[in-house]
Amino acid sequence: MPDFYENWTTQLRKGLLELAILNTLGGDALYGYEIVRRLGDVDGLVITEGTVYPILSRLRNEEYVETYIEESPEGPARKYYRLTSRGRDELRRMNRHWERLHEAVGQVRKERSK
Amino acid sequence: MIELTPTARERFDAYLSRLRSALRGTPQVEAEEVEQNVREHIEVALGGVPAPVGAEHLGAVLDRLGPPERWIADDEQSAWKRAINRLRSGPEDWRLAYLSFALFAASFLFLPIGGVLLLIPAFVVSRAAVSLLAEKGDPIGARRWLIYPAIATVMVILLVPVLVGPPAGIVAWSIEEKGLYRASGLDRDELLLAERVQLETGLVMAVFGAWWMIAAAILAAAYRPLQIAFRPILDRWRRRHLAVLALVGAIIAAIGATVFYVTW
Repeated sequence: MPDFYENWTTQLRKGLLELAILNTLGGDALYGYEIVRRLGDVDGLVITEGTVYPILSRLRNEEYVETYIEESPEGPARKYYRLTSRGRDELRRMNRHWERLHEAVGQVRKERSK
Repeated sequence: MIELTPTARERFDAYLSRLRSALRGTPQVEAEEVEQNVREHIEVALGGVPAPVGAEHLGAVLDRLGPPERWIADDEQSAWKRAINRLRSGPEDWRLAYLSFALFAASFLFLPIGGVLLLIPAFVVSRAAVSLLAEKGDPIGARRWLIYPAIATVMVILLVPVLVGPPAGIVAWSIEEKGLYRASGLDRDELLLAERVQLETGLVMAVFGAWWMIAAAILAAAYRPLQIAFRPILDRWRRRHLAVLALVGAIIAAIGATVFYVTW
């Protein structure tokens, strides 16, 4: 049975993965493997690489991201993901909320250490 | 598509089959799109490996992708999928609760003999779930709707014959089989209808009342085993409740005996 800390960090990572994916797509359009690689490079963010793909599908269904196919010189054509304008608005809201949440937890910690 | 060895191909096909099964019934996620992404992922990840790619290289990529069953959070899945998952791989206490209810529901489909045969394991599984929750110190919570039906049904099936069975047999023999009249020498046909009704009502009340006093004593003797068997439904049951049954029995028996004696 997973202990409390392990369970808590897993839930936290799951909740933040969507935010991380949207932020990864905040710049250029990326194809699936590239998104997974970039997130995988951030220590402790992705538990299993496959988790990213259902989230991408859901984000596309909710029209936060859109896809297009582009030929690749290194092999078969690749499917690229990019943010829609709706996705950009949502990302801004999510980032603001995350910052507020981060500040709130920091505030609580600061008050405790007084 | 990248060229794989037969073993690697077999492993990849099995993985995709697990993926489709895991994503089936997930409304917001398109399994086909995810499968396409995973195929593309494999192509890119193994792009530098000489063909045909063996199971070892493929296995390393699939391990990093992780088991598809863990990709979707429980609350994103459809209700039936959640129920199946809980039954297959959920916490033991939920699994037992769902199994108990499934056996209980199935018992109605196979009435009468098959129903009884399924009700027994449904009861045992329900009790196992109750014991497991007690050991873990977890409240039953919403699981009561899955656990209680089997326990309550078995309890009622056993309790009704205990309270009604023996006196019903005596009354049937006395009235329907005219045993009362044969034993006492009374001629039933010579009695007025009102006298017959009084006599038989008095007998029914006396027999049932007397039996409930005996039943209260029997149930009091078996109090602990019964309370354990039908936990948690009988958790609040106390011996004093049997005193009430005995008292009600005594009153009914006294009234019945008086009516019977006066009519006699």
